[in-house]
Amino acid sequence: MSELETSPVTRTHGVRDVEVRVWADAEQVPLLRSFAADIAMRMDFDLDSIEDLRMAVDEACSLLVRAAAPDSALLCWFEPEELGIRVRVRVDAEHGVAPSSDPMGWQILTALAATVTESVDAIDGGYRISVELLAVPGPAEVDPR
Amino acid sequence: MNTTPDPQRPADKGADGHADRFRELAALDPADPRRAALRGDLVADHMDLARNLARKFDRRGDQLEDLIQVATIGLIKAVDRFEADRGNFYAFAIPTIMGELRRHFRDTGWAVRVPRQLKELHVTVAAGRNELSQKLGRAPKPSELAEHLGLTKEQVYEALVASAAKQGTSLDARLAEPAGDRFGYEDDRLAEVDNRRALGPLLAELPEREQKIIVLRFFRGMSQADIARRVGVSQMQVSRLLAKTLERLRAALGEDTLAG
Repeated sequence: MSELETSPVTRTHGVRDVEVRVWADAEQVPLLRSFAADIAMRMDFDLDSIEDLRMAVDEACSLLVRAAAPDSALLCWFEPEELGIRVRVRVDAEHGVAPSSDPMGWQILTALAATVTESVDAIDGGYRISVELLAVPGPAEVDPR
Repeated sequence: MNTTPDPQRPADKGADGHADRFRELAALDPADPRRAALRGDLVADHMDLARNLARKFDRRGDQLEDLIQVATIGLIKAVDRFEADRGNFYAFAIPTIMGELRRHFRDTGWAVRVPRQLKELHVTVAAGRNELSQKLGRAPKPSELAEHLGLTKEQVYEALVASAAKQGTSLDARLAEPAGDRFGYEDDRLAEVDNRRALGPLLAELPEREQKIIVLRFFRGMSQADIARRVGVSQMQVSRLLAKTLERLRAALGEDTLAG
């Protein structure tokens, strides 16, 4: 258990950007969920917010995994920012179906993350579908009353 | 296979209405394929009961899905052991399922072998979390836990990660859930596909606070008190808002299947 000092300049909240690439397969989703939770923990999110993020990432990845082309990759970026953590998830798909077309999944996602955006871009031979969400620590500032 | 139970049958009549089927089950030869089918139907018809009981044990950190599985095992045992002549199935099934759930909590140690020191740390951090939550009126941050407990942040991290290992979540967990049926586990009353489909857009129309309350209550299974704390209103208000929102959704769906 070593406690190494790292230059604060190189790190935001003590966490650097993380990029993860896994098979776009449901069995990989828990892995990404854990990544997100661990990063949020190290960013000192309160424990409820960590759980919110864990669930939001799970939902975002699940939506994309269902859209993904067979044997393709799910790419995930975790980017700590001043306000919170930005998570971007991306797959390549055969059909350009927007993640928000699953109203329930999208509903859960938007309720759990501070902001959520999606994009569907035509690429060579298919579509590139992304979800980007921003999670912020603490519900207090989001919901003043 | 006769897997379509009459959806109109009210739940409270279920016990008596099933008595004949339990007698039939008892009469069938174990090798008879009809017995397996009937047994499956009886279990499926009482899944609401298992889910409801599982939810009562749904504490922080315990996966509701896991608890539902445990409750389902209890339900299967109840179906197998119930003697129709001895009265109400529920009266027999509820203690059986509760017993299964309690045993789960008693017997389930750590899914992963964790050093004893870390187990103790986990207990300390869990206690600190409760204390601080009450003191702060919100969930504590890892740094606050560290300070409160006189631990290093790294120790708190270890304990939090270890807590996650207390009950192992299979990497196959997602595979076991068919993609289209992922929301039925959280709230059995939303289990019907049509309603679920219709509900999405309706939820989207709700004000943000009501949406949040609905998600916390039905998708996170949080108590009204916890929701009140999270949303920053009184529990009375949560209760009122829930009732009002459900009333609204119910009216919009034109059905009487949602209950607070």
